[in-house]
Amino acid sequence: MGSGSQLLVVALLAAGVLVASARIRSDREAHGLPTRFGHLAWTLALAVLPITMVATLSGRFDPSGLRAWMVAIALAIAVVLAIRPGLAPRLVPAGLILLGVASIVLARAYLLAAPPSALPASVVALPGPSGGSVRPGLDAATPAGLWATGPGLALVQAYLFVLLGGWLAWRSADPLLSRARHLLDRVTGLAPRAQFRALLLLPVVIMAAELFIPGRWYSPASVALWFLPFLGAAVVVLRRWPGAAGRLAVLGVLLLGLSGIVLAMTFQYGNAPSEYGLVVMAARSSPGLVAGEALVLLAFGAWLAPQTFPSARRLLRLPPDPELTRQVQQLTDSRAVAVDTAAGDLRQLERDLHDGAQARLVALGMSLRAAERLIPVNPDAAIALVAEARDTSARALTELRELVRGVHPPVLADRGLSDAVRALALDCPLDVQTHIDLPGRPAAPVETACYFAVAELLTNAAKHSGAREACIDVGHSDGRLRIEVTDFGLGGADPAAGGGLAGVEKRLAAFDGIMAISSPAGGPTIVVLEVPCALSSPKTSSC
Amino acid sequence: MRAVVAEDQFLLRDGLTRLLEAHGFEIAAAVADAPALLQELLHNPPDVAIVDVRLPPTFTDDGLRAAIDARRAVPGLPVLVLSQYVEQLYARELLADRAGGIGYLLKDRVFNDDQFVDAIKAVAAGGTVMDQEVVAKLLRRQARRETLARLSAREREVLELMAEGRSNIAIAQRLFVSEKAVSKHSTSIFAKLDLAPSDDDNRRVLAVLAYLNG
Repeated sequence: MGSGSQLLVVALLAAGVLVASARIRSDREAHGLPTRFGHLAWTLALAVLPITMVATLSGRFDPSGLRAWMVAIALAIAVVLAIRPGLAPRLVPAGLILLGVASIVLARAYLLAAPPSALPASVVALPGPSGGSVRPGLDAATPAGLWATGPGLALVQAYLFVLLGGWLAWRSADPLLSRARHLLDRVTGLAPRAQFRALLLLPVVIMAAELFIPGRWYSPASVALWFLPFLGAAVVVLRRWPGAAGRLAVLGVLLLGLSGIVLAMTFQYGNAPSEYGLVVMAARSSPGLVAGEALVLLAFGAWLAPQTFPSARRLLRLPPDPELTRQVQQLTDSRAVAVDTAAGDLRQLERDLHDGAQARLVALGMSLRAAERLIPVNPDAAIALVAEARDTSARALTELRELVRGVHPPVLADRGLSDAVRALALDCPLDVQTHIDLPGRPAAPVETACYFAVAELLTNAAKHSGAREACIDVGHSDGRLRIEVTDFGLGGADPAAGGGLAGVEKRLAAFDGIMAISSPAGGPTIVVLEVPCALSSPKTSSC
Repeated sequence: MRAVVAEDQFLLRDGLTRLLEAHGFEIAAAVADAPALLQELLHNPPDVAIVDVRLPPTFTDDGLRAAIDARRAVPGLPVLVLSQYVEQLYARELLADRAGGIGYLLKDRVFNDDQFVDAIKAVAAGGTVMDQEVVAKLLRRQARRETLARLSAREREVLELMAEGRSNIAIAQRLFVSEKAVSKHSTSIFAKLDLAPSDDDNRRVLAVLAYLNG
């Protein structure tokens, strides 16, 4: 094995990562349901990793022994994945990160005066940083071998592994990893996009430390002394000023890129200090690689900077962040709808009161006044008028009751969303089953919006679907209220046709809520509503 | 007949008290909140209680819950629940114990004092009185329509009025038929709803429940 196998490993890795990322995308689309193609892709991606890992830590194996190990491990992985395919999306990012970290640790050990005795003999016997030849028999494809042939490539590869593993973990839809992301959300209190930039601070700090720790001071104690303050400071900044951490990280990426170019040029064109850290040594042995890495870092920083520093965006005359523009547009739209709806509702309320209860009260007063006059003259007619007045007041009450129900249904005020939805189900002409599991109550405006949404959906189902039965599921998880209304009717409901469904969608948008409809011809029609909201503590008493 | 009135609005409480006294009821207590009502119902159960759904302290369904709690302790304690609006959900909860002696009416029904007093008396006698609005909503239910399809149109009318708590005499007057005809219809209703013969009042309650619960 030589540079050919090295290329093979890199190619396999690249292919594995490509399919793995494709798999992650399909994962997200299919709600994490495994596909046959996805399995194959993961297996391929995964098989490469432990093989390289073993190669990393077993430099002393002869090539034929190594091949036997690779085949055995690849078989073992295939068996494990056949039994537990769900493990694949967790193992790949974990494997990449471990591999990168192992490679960095190995580099440390290689440069330390006294490497741990547990390391393979070949690593210990490697020539020092001042140069020399690679020991025959050492596989150049392994990171240990790489360290001997080109520290620059090894360093790039190590960080590449860590970054790729982190990125894959970041994008994965795997439940365990998403739980970890949620935990991170809570700990840092950052939006996921900002989080990624802020967390860049940690690798940037480590790389910066690598750059500046003098090589002649390498010993476990001095490394700890150098690294711990750097890491401690980074963690404090991350926790206290997460926004600033993102900016520092981006600045750090740019500075590292610049210093890499300076270093590479120094070694290319003149003398340089010999006693500096890993990056410096890498630059000495392979200035081209370090310059390449520096260019990648600069490009990365240039891509990140306009997102982190809005002024950079203006300076570069770039259009505003499309994601932010979209959000602003969405907020403007939903706010306009909310305001319009509220104003429209008030107008309607005024009209209903004016034409209904108010008019009836006027009639009531007139009837009573007429009766008052008739009492001495024609008592029978007076009695008839009073009876009429009573009817009028009853009608006024009925109208007021309908109005109140339309403004804020009493059962919703009394009992909250759960019982209000049950009441809707009972009032519906269809036979409606309810499955409601809400441990507390959402905020009042969300409750009201959801109530009217369900009322609208049930009315639609009763009017248009031709269904005899329907069912409503209400639940809350991951900070989202989810309502599913299903009718077993003809299907073919179309929100684009305007009317009720579009109205429901617009009103929910004011709470960042969304609506999804599945209504194939022949039914059933399933409408799902999701609104992000927290629940208040459960009610203490209810009958 | 001893009655307890629970209503937080003074004007209505006063009006109800006077209306009941005018019809020969003895007002044992007129209370303004749910804890006082529960206290009264548990320690000195009246012949009938007239209770507003919405009462202090929380101004939600305190009155309803107090009524249900009291009936849990004193089964069959006659309670007529009044409200500005009627909910089938609440009607179901009130009927759940199947003990009879329960009524659920819109406050508007007070306007017709004769019918209102008849309803109170029906409840006090162990009958079941549901507001015509509850009954009308139930009729809209398709599934229920099929369950009750076995009944003739006239029989359904009789059952509807029965659910509103009317006596055979009142039903006969309302439908312009003889009382005998009404009793024939009700016997037929009981038979079609598979209600075993027992004392008439109990069967009326069961028929109404069968009707209300589909």
